[in-house]
Amino acid sequence: MSYRKLFYVANVLLLAVFVWALVEDFRAEWRPYQAAYYRMAAEAQEKLAAAQTDPKKAAEHKAAARAMRRSPVEIKQIIVGDLGRFDRCVTCHVGMDEYTNPSLKNDFTENPYKAHPKIDESLVKAHPFTKFGCTSCHSGQGLATDKDAAHGWVKHWEKPMLKGVHIQGACVKCHGDFETLKGSEVAARGKRLFQEHGCQGCHAINGWGGAVSVDLGDVADKPFERIAGYNFKRVRIDGKELPNEHHNSHWNIQNWILGHLVNDPAYNTPNDPFAKLNAEPIPPSGMPDFSAEISRADSDAITAYLTGMTKEEVIPRRYYVFAPAAREPKFSQAKDHGRFVFQKYGCQGCHGLEAKEGRRRYNALGPGQKPFDETMTEEEIGRQMELGREPTLPDLMGTYTHEELVKKIASGVPAADAKKWNPKGPMPMIYMPGWKDKISPTELNDLATWLLSIAKEDDSGF
Amino acid sequence: MPTVDIEKIKKEIIDSQLWRSVFRGGVWKDTPRDRAAHIIGNVWLHLHPVKVRPRALEWLYTWGMGGISFALYLILTLSGVALMFYYRPTIGLAYRDIKDLEFAVTLGMFLRNSHRWAAQAMVVAVIAHMVRVFLTGAYKKPREFNWGVGVLLLTLTLFLSFTGYLLPWDQLAIWAVTVGTNMAGATPILGNEGPLGSLAGMRINNDVRFTLLGGTMVGENTLLRFYVMHCVAVPLVVGILLILHFWRIRKDSFSAAPYQANEEKVDVWPHLVKREYVAAAATVLVIMVWSILQNAPLEAIANPNVTTNPSKAPWYFVGLQELLVYFDPWIAGVVMPGLIIVGLIAIPYIDTNPKGIGYYAWKERPFANTMFMLGVVLWFALIYIGYACRGPNYAWYWPWESWYGLKAAPPATWSVFGPKGDGAYSMLIGVPLLAGVSAAWMLLPKMIQRDLDGRKTMGAFLGLLAVLAAAGMAMGKMDVLQGAFLLFFLGSSFYFGFMLPQRHIRTLDWPRYLVTMVLVVSTMSVLLKMCARLAFNIKYVLTIPSISMNI
Repeated sequence: MSYRKLFYVANVLLLAVFVWALVEDFRAEWRPYQAAYYRMAAEAQEKLAAAQTDPKKAAEHKAAARAMRRSPVEIKQIIVGDLGRFDRCVTCHVGMDEYTNPSLKNDFTENPYKAHPKIDESLVKAHPFTKFGCTSCHSGQGLATDKDAAHGWVKHWEKPMLKGVHIQGACVKCHGDFETLKGSEVAARGKRLFQEHGCQGCHAINGWGGAVSVDLGDVADKPFERIAGYNFKRVRIDGKELPNEHHNSHWNIQNWILGHLVNDPAYNTPNDPFAKLNAEPIPPSGMPDFSAEISRADSDAITAYLTGMTKEEVIPRRYYVFAPAAREPKFSQAKDHGRFVFQKYGCQGCHGLEAKEGRRRYNALGPGQKPFDETMTEEEIGRQMELGREPTLPDLMGTYTHEELVKKIASGVPAADAKKWNPKGPMPMIYMPGWKDKISPTELNDLATWLLSIAKEDDSGF
Repeated sequence: MPTVDIEKIKKEIIDSQLWRSVFRGGVWKDTPRDRAAHIIGNVWLHLHPVKVRPRALEWLYTWGMGGISFALYLILTLSGVALMFYYRPTIGLAYRDIKDLEFAVTLGMFLRNSHRWAAQAMVVAVIAHMVRVFLTGAYKKPREFNWGVGVLLLTLTLFLSFTGYLLPWDQLAIWAVTVGTNMAGATPILGNEGPLGSLAGMRINNDVRFTLLGGTMVGENTLLRFYVMHCVAVPLVVGILLILHFWRIRKDSFSAAPYQANEEKVDVWPHLVKREYVAAAATVLVIMVWSILQNAPLEAIANPNVTTNPSKAPWYFVGLQELLVYFDPWIAGVVMPGLIIVGLIAIPYIDTNPKGIGYYAWKERPFANTMFMLGVVLWFALIYIGYACRGPNYAWYWPWESWYGLKAAPPATWSVFGPKGDGAYSMLIGVPLLAGVSAAWMLLPKMIQRDLDGRKTMGAFLGLLAVLAAAGMAMGKMDVLQGAFLLFFLGSSFYFGFMLPQRHIRTLDWPRYLVTMVLVVSTMSVLLKMCARLAFNIKYVLTIPSISMNI
């Protein structure tokens, strides 16, 4: 081809590719949605006009329909400076845009056209969209204008839109009084369950609770970089593995929390108990298996509660609603108070509900274990290490005096003092922390009283 | 019916006062004088000569890479200026502005993609340009200086790309820049972690890394610094050097291609200009199509508390990052790149071979071409390993392996000579031994004044290695793979680092010979250290912790 021809071809191609780029840019996903909304809204108005007998009102509907048809297709956004929100959700969800749809109501049933549900309820009324935006409660990527990116179902957006009851975590972010609010009942139940099952015994929340494992005060901000992908892939919800992709519609913090409750966490995070990949053996997750004790719905409630545990979002002080600390019940008997103290500090997290049975403590000594034997198969050794247990208190209490028991709870048992079943296996993970700075002397006294009252009697009648 | 005389209208327009005031010269008659006037009378074209030798126009000779690099520089300038309208260099706004470009600005994504991909393409084009100029010997007298300017331009191209990497303020950006700037902290004397750095009074808050970052970690000041360097300071320097580069090309008679009998020069307008236009148009087309089809990466917003695993430098620096596996940062990040730049600039002054100017001459310049291409291949091989074969914890993952699979922790490493090495006197043995081997290696090729029989010497060396490897295997100190590594790496180091210099450059004068050997031996040291680390888990050959000197 001669250069003259090449010159013309190149120029035509340049123009064509530039037009192609423009077309691609114009074919944004949000345009058809917004255009369809205007069309549907105009048709609805025209229908009203046709049904209307009063010519004046019919003319009004017709004018509204015309205005709808004439609306420019454009990016719409709610800017909330206080909360750092730039939410373009209403670009597609036009029915929720106060400027296009002042009543915020319509008859459409499908997303993205339909209006915000429960618009008349006080919950929604108390959080006007212009003051809170969308993502303050729903999460997701407000700046984005295509479906997957906006809902946060993409790599590198770690706070996708909250689904189902998990949205109640949004209430927990600001409302200290969420336990008494209408609308956040599930999150409130989540908090109750969290404490009933003794999660706070190991996981403090903002400093309140035990220090055996991580503080969950910012668990909703946990970066995925700190969750090995390998472990995400092992999480099973409803018995199914999460889809095998790094797609945040499934790989999100809610499923990570949920996965710890509906699965055995030791399965999620098996680590390296036989030192196959590392110089030293690393025990699996120390968290006991709660899947038999906490139902799927209850797990969701706890997840909803923990979804509110965020420090990342900048919310001005005045947006918070504070609540006085709940009053503790009064007990006439030291024994009953002791039982309450046991629950309050989450002792059941390790020692079992009502202190009935100690939970798993990998590679510690436990009932039903065979003696360690080098010749056992690896599988058998693994099974035996799994049988390691925290002390079952009623079996043990008889050997303590009241003073000894108080001292023991106050000072705890250092992790290094643990007795391993398999001497070559990993150190048992969970341990008894010292409680003297957390449990007050009166509480401690009553706790010991209760514990001694439930001690099993042995043959000697002690 | 009145006839329309187009020629007459054309003439009237061209002769009008308005036309003549804008464009010099009258009606185009396509005479040689017109063609010359077109070049001389045009401010943009007059860096060209009026006539050029036809050999300088051949695509197979030039690859068009110099022109394409400049076309990419223009694309980058235009798209960069357009991007500056939307971008604010503060850590609160930068990432959001990129998101805006992606989701709200008309053609914003296209613009950002073009800038990103043109920058990557320019790095490749400039390197290809350098390879072409080297292979055709076009850096030789009288073009030594312009080659040096070109090397500086290559360095600045990489630096421009690197400074631009930070601006989106995402995880990819800050960790790549953290990796890059941490190497600066290992500069000898000037960096707080480099050899002799603490002796020179360097602390974390006054060394060269601090100057680069405007702080002790990547933050607000770094973003501003990189922004100003990326948008103003470096492009200014590049622009000045570009003008110098172009002007010297013209002054040094445009092309190094040798004169032929009866050679007749052709007019630059249109012969060169049309080629330049087509090459530039093709470049723009490729960048545009690429930008439509492929989006530039953008990860989560930068978070100094969450380190990505693995954190990788921009791909063109991943080769140096891969060197960090084998060497301490002051060697991998400072000495090696320094040697590359200085070595490249030195090439025209140490290469005294009068042959092979202006044409591909594999047979006439065996040493120069082999060593240079070895360097280029090694550079890209290291980039490939670092980019494609390194996963979490920078462990070795084959490209087809999933990063979700767990890998065993790397085996413990050991050092040969030094306080923790074998034997009580390892320092006393190690320093003289290493110095002795290096000196012998540097000097012997020139001292042996006769031609060695290549096959016999190579065979003897490989045979010796094979015996060593076999002995090692028999004693159980080595496995087959280690033996193969030893044979391959030591064998190739011996061939490229000893046999070739002995055969081809022993006649050079001492200063040139020594400079060349320093470059050759440093290149070989990379191969040898790779072998030592990959096959034998050797961390250091010699370590002197008291002055942070580890080799």
